[in-house]
Amino acid sequence: MLYVQNRELVVPGQLIAEGGYNVREGAFREGKQVYASVVGLAELRGQDIRIIPLQGRYIPKPGDVVIGVVVDSYYSGWILDINSPYTGNLFVSDLLLRKVDLVREDISQYLSMGDVVVAKVKDVNERMRVQLEAGEPGMGRVKGGKLVEISPAKVPRVIGRKGSMLNTLQDVGECKLRVGQNGRIMIWGKNPRMINAVVEALLMIEREAHISGLTDRVHLMLEKIKSEGGE
Amino acid sequence: MKKPEKLIENGKRLDGRVPDEMRPLKIEAGILERADGSAYVELGANKVLAAVYGPREMHPRHRQQPDTAVLRCRYNMAPFSVDERKRPGPDRRSVEISKVTREALESVLFLELYPRSVIDVFIEVLQADAGTRTAGINAASVALADAGVPMRDMVSSIAVGKIDDTIVLDLTKDEDQWGTTDMPIAMVPRKKLVTLLQMDGHFTKEEFGQALGLAFKACEQIYGIQRQALREKYAIKQEK
Repeated sequence: MLYVQNRELVVPGQLIAEGGYNVREGAFREGKQVYASVVGLAELRGQDIRIIPLQGRYIPKPGDVVIGVVVDSYYSGWILDINSPYTGNLFVSDLLLRKVDLVREDISQYLSMGDVVVAKVKDVNERMRVQLEAGEPGMGRVKGGKLVEISPAKVPRVIGRKGSMLNTLQDVGECKLRVGQNGRIMIWGKNPRMINAVVEALLMIEREAHISGLTDRVHLMLEKIKSEGGE
Repeated sequence: MKKPEKLIENGKRLDGRVPDEMRPLKIEAGILERADGSAYVELGANKVLAAVYGPREMHPRHRQQPDTAVLRCRYNMAPFSVDERKRPGPDRRSVEISKVTREALESVLFLELYPRSVIDVFIEVLQADAGTRTAGINAASVALADAGVPMRDMVSSIAVGKIDDTIVLDLTKDEDQWGTTDMPIAMVPRKKLVTLLQMDGHFTKEEFGQALGLAFKACEQIYGIQRQALREKYAIKQEK
């Protein structure tokens, strides 16, 4: 028995459903009833109930791609700021994907303070110690580009339904984007004008995430800046 | 102001309310840019601002709890919030109110989801007219939801008291000063759990029951306004 529509706005403590549903993040069960625990949009998919949050910090979970900044290093790895209440740990071996002899090799040649790294959350333990890996192609230290930070809760809007918004940004903006689940986005492109236009578009998405017809407006805005041309 | 002869005349109170009537309540969510979550509450002449930060990394580190987040509350009155200038800074009263506010809110939060972190709640009273702690709890509760902190339910809060041997809801400063009893209450409306109950003065058993009934009814009302405030901020707007 459901008490809300799909994608309806819910507030904490609101009754969503009754019965044997699978309760995912943003909701909790009390006896037979399922309640929302955050402000968000109820996503009801089959037997699964999930609330897409509209606010909140980034909480790491395994499998997420994040963009981190190196803030400290230690004997066998680095500590990364991942725009979250928790920092991430990256071991050399999880960056280079090989055994590293720490006595012979100086690891400071691979990453230094302030470097931006694309990484994947490998594991999060019960005390929220975050383990990262960055060995896959396209991961590791970022060269060039521009880094933008938005609210992590708005990341789904940047990607859009089936990636529609991301495609608009990349195709019309003539840029390549890498979106981290923690609200950090890397932009690479040839035309500085269009890079700045995409930055503006991202900030607009963050500002106007709650107003409908967003993808079309972003498209229009980028086309306009593009046609004004120059360079 | 001198003590008036009667606090209730012809069934009407000094400000024209009937005994079981609340002052007009206005709640607005998410009005501060820099905080993770915020709310502004006006309850009659009370004006209260609440801001929430977090969950974020706990400093000092030795106060981290390995298995849960910590809730920190600070209730503070602005020097200009009362008639006589209030000396700024924490005092006996505000330290106590900070503590009971924290305890009133703690039980609805899923703190165990964020080990080693802290959630900070700041309550600033801009203008006071009795019942600031209840207004502060109402504001903090909306601000926490606005910050995206997972919670079991909202917390709603109101004061009840006794003036001229009548049980009344939501006392003003004059009624608090000249009345005999003041009892602030906070509750979790869905499950009817009381998370704050203080009492200054006396009630008989019957009076207490009656007062509690009034407060419960008012909290239901406040709960509705709190939810409405959140809905208004987050509703998907149509393109102009």
